[in-house]
Amino acid sequence: MTLSDQTNKTSARESVVHGIDAPPPDPNSDLPPSAVAVTARPATTTTTGDRLRSIGSRYALIGVWIVMAVVYGAIMPDKFLGTSTAQAIFGSQSALLFLAVAALCTFVVGEFDLSFASVMGLSATIIPVLSTLHHLNLALACLIALLAALGCGLINALFIVKLGVPSLIVTLGTASLFLGLAELISSSTIVSVSNKTFSDIALHNVLGLPLSFYYGLILCAGFAYVLTWMPIGRHIVFVGANREVARLAGINVDRIRAGSYIVASLVAGLAGILLVATVGGFDPTASSSYLLPALAAVFLGTAIVMPGQFNPMGTFLGIYFLETGILGLQLLGYTGWVQDAFYGAGLVVAVTVASLVRNRTRTA
Amino acid sequence: MSADPARLQVRALNKTFGSVQVLTDVELTVAGGEVHGLAGQNGSGKSTLIKILTGLYPPDPGADYHVDGRAMRLPVRWPEVHAAGISVVHQDLGLLDQLTVAENICIGGFPTSRVLGRIDRNRRDRLATRTLERLGVELDPATLVASLNAPERAEIAIARAMRDHAPGGGLIILDESTRALSGDDLTRIHTMLRRITADGSAALLISHNLAELMAVTDRITILRDGRLAGAGLRTADLSEEEIARRMLGSSLGQTMARPATPTTVKPPTVTVTGLAGRHVRDVEFALGAGEILGITGLPGNGYEEIPYLLTGAQAATSGVITTPAGTVDLTRAGVLGCLRAGVVLVPERRDRDGLAFELNLRDNISLPALRQRGRPWFVGRAWQRHDAEAALDSLDIRPRNPSILVKQLSGGNQQKVLLAKWLTRGPAVLVLHEPTQAVDVGARRDILHALRRAANSGVAVILISSEAEDLAAACDRVLVYSAASGVVDAASTTPDGLIDQIYQADACRTEPEGSPA
Repeated sequence: MTLSDQTNKTSARESVVHGIDAPPPDPNSDLPPSAVAVTARPATTTTTGDRLRSIGSRYALIGVWIVMAVVYGAIMPDKFLGTSTAQAIFGSQSALLFLAVAALCTFVVGEFDLSFASVMGLSATIIPVLSTLHHLNLALACLIALLAALGCGLINALFIVKLGVPSLIVTLGTASLFLGLAELISSSTIVSVSNKTFSDIALHNVLGLPLSFYYGLILCAGFAYVLTWMPIGRHIVFVGANREVARLAGINVDRIRAGSYIVASLVAGLAGILLVATVGGFDPTASSSYLLPALAAVFLGTAIVMPGQFNPMGTFLGIYFLETGILGLQLLGYTGWVQDAFYGAGLVVAVTVASLVRNRTRTA
Repeated sequence: MSADPARLQVRALNKTFGSVQVLTDVELTVAGGEVHGLAGQNGSGKSTLIKILTGLYPPDPGADYHVDGRAMRLPVRWPEVHAAGISVVHQDLGLLDQLTVAENICIGGFPTSRVLGRIDRNRRDRLATRTLERLGVELDPATLVASLNAPERAEIAIARAMRDHAPGGGLIILDESTRALSGDDLTRIHTMLRRITADGSAALLISHNLAELMAVTDRITILRDGRLAGAGLRTADLSEEEIARRMLGSSLGQTMARPATPTTVKPPTVTVTGLAGRHVRDVEFALGAGEILGITGLPGNGYEEIPYLLTGAQAATSGVITTPAGTVDLTRAGVLGCLRAGVVLVPERRDRDGLAFELNLRDNISLPALRQRGRPWFVGRAWQRHDAEAALDSLDIRPRNPSILVKQLSGGNQQKVLLAKWLTRGPAVLVLHEPTQAVDVGARRDILHALRRAANSGVAVILISSEAEDLAAACDRVLVYSAASGVVDAASTTPDGLIDQIYQADACRTEPEGSPA
């Protein structure tokens, strides 16, 4: 290859055109040489307009977010505008974000998990029970909680991947099973942990936001890195996009599917630890109320960053988008019911928007 | 023909899926009182045609659909067409085993009592009995369908289709409904079809079995690549061979010529021995680097399985492939084992098995190389982009944009991406299955050129195809598979010569199979 190859992309492309594209007429074939092969074409067909439009559709949700914030700010400048609002939005959702990432783990490979909220509940129940009632070392209690979560993931993977039972049925069942186990462990009483060092892990203030916010950011960014820049991540994306294509490319599809359930449960277990560190204790029966918000954020995330695809940064933004909407409504005086209604409607709207975005790319 | 309007007349039927045209200007005319055959190989558009006739797919605008001279509204509304006299017997017959003959016949049209809308059992049984009598079938309406044998089941399915037709009217479409039958059972159903059409009803028989089409039909319509290859030809004027020739392609419209000089004989570097699968056995051959070897056979005789067995996509029951990179046991190697030996597959179904349509060109093309080129913790984008752009250029893929999604491309360009994906990996053996199916002439030429270029760069290419013209144009050597003799070198590699050999190889198979062995 020539020096120009390294100097800039356009010349590299030209060297391709001349080097590979136009071979000398084939001596073994009297087929007419393809005329188009030698004609030079514009280096690329993407225009600035295309690129802007693509950025526009990729980040449209951010625009909606800003509009929402401006409207809330205009309606109630005193209450809504201020750093405390930002702190309330970005400081409170870490456990939910971890949970959404757990859901995302299975969605990216085209699987489906409904049990992750219960796994979080189980993990969040085990820790206070072990450390407060049984006086176990807190770190050990966290480790045991994670092992329990791992077990949950193994059970899901066993039934869904190994035995081939439909994932909807299995995880609907295990969701209830894990919840039941959590209730058994807690004996229906809520125990709490009060340990300053432990809660500092989650709540220590850095630049105005608790540490847990940064954990979520690191988790999502790390997940995004894996999916985009690591071979295993690219394989995961292909398993999610078309399982047969992945199999015919030599990817061990079942191992990736099983792995997704196991990692999902582990992340849900981490969400449980984070939850205990932030609020001290947990009532397992409340776990199901975390299911829908997490799903809503995951689906909302498909409308942003990489439209039409499940992606971690989209989920990250989705969580805080939804929280902004709810916080605004709560400040306006709507309480209680508004959370359920907003998350429910948010899920439906998110899926609709995502599928519209997908259809638009099809016709573009 | 008489002045009476035809029972079914469809004209100017076109159908496009996205950018792929699957039916082009198709017409079909079925007269009352005839058994009309519809022939064509897989992917020729037969099933799309039936799905349009029954309203599952809307046709492209401009089509024309008449039943007994009455224009049907398009897209087809099934209740309207059914009321006009069209009914279907599906491939799997659609019977419910746990119900009785009468219930199965009357499903979808139970006579009900006027007041409560309850099923009127007496009228139901009378309707079933009447229908069966009309067809000359002697069965108790109270029998459970589970206890019936294969021809009886087919009769029940046909009875259901005939239920609402006035005697002497209507058209039943048999969508490969007879494929589970053979010998006397098949004759029995044919006799029944004859009886039905004797009083003026019509039947449209879709079948892969050429002998059956010859035996029972009055006229035949043949499709090839979504176009008519024969419209309502009189069966009496045809032979099985002529039907096969029209299904597989004629000598007309050759777009490519064969390599002028046969390539110099190279020592074989790739050998396949003792390959057998679910439908094929005794497949053995060898080829050298730089050679393009074609494999073909009569559609449906099992040779379509060979590409998947060779590449580990489907486990073989026996067989070994040896390449310069090593020897692979095809019974348990799997895809990864074959990839390691440098054997790659370009599958037939690009939408289902070949490409991830929701991802972009660059991602699709670089997928097979990720493990080789990337480090476990990082795969660069630069080489992916470079590979994709090189592929876009060498195969003339348009638009020339590696970040466009595969689903946004035309069929021909998708097929080129699929080829590029595996060529970029630098295989030792490239196995392709129907790489030119449903692509336009230009893309077909580019693809065949690319195969020759790959061969010249030292790849052993195995092209498994039913397209005689492709094989004739691209291959150095063609093998014809038949169950009787395994793979045999084709003496002639002109398109016509190939079709003759495909047909003859299988003709000698059918005889020993008919006699008890």
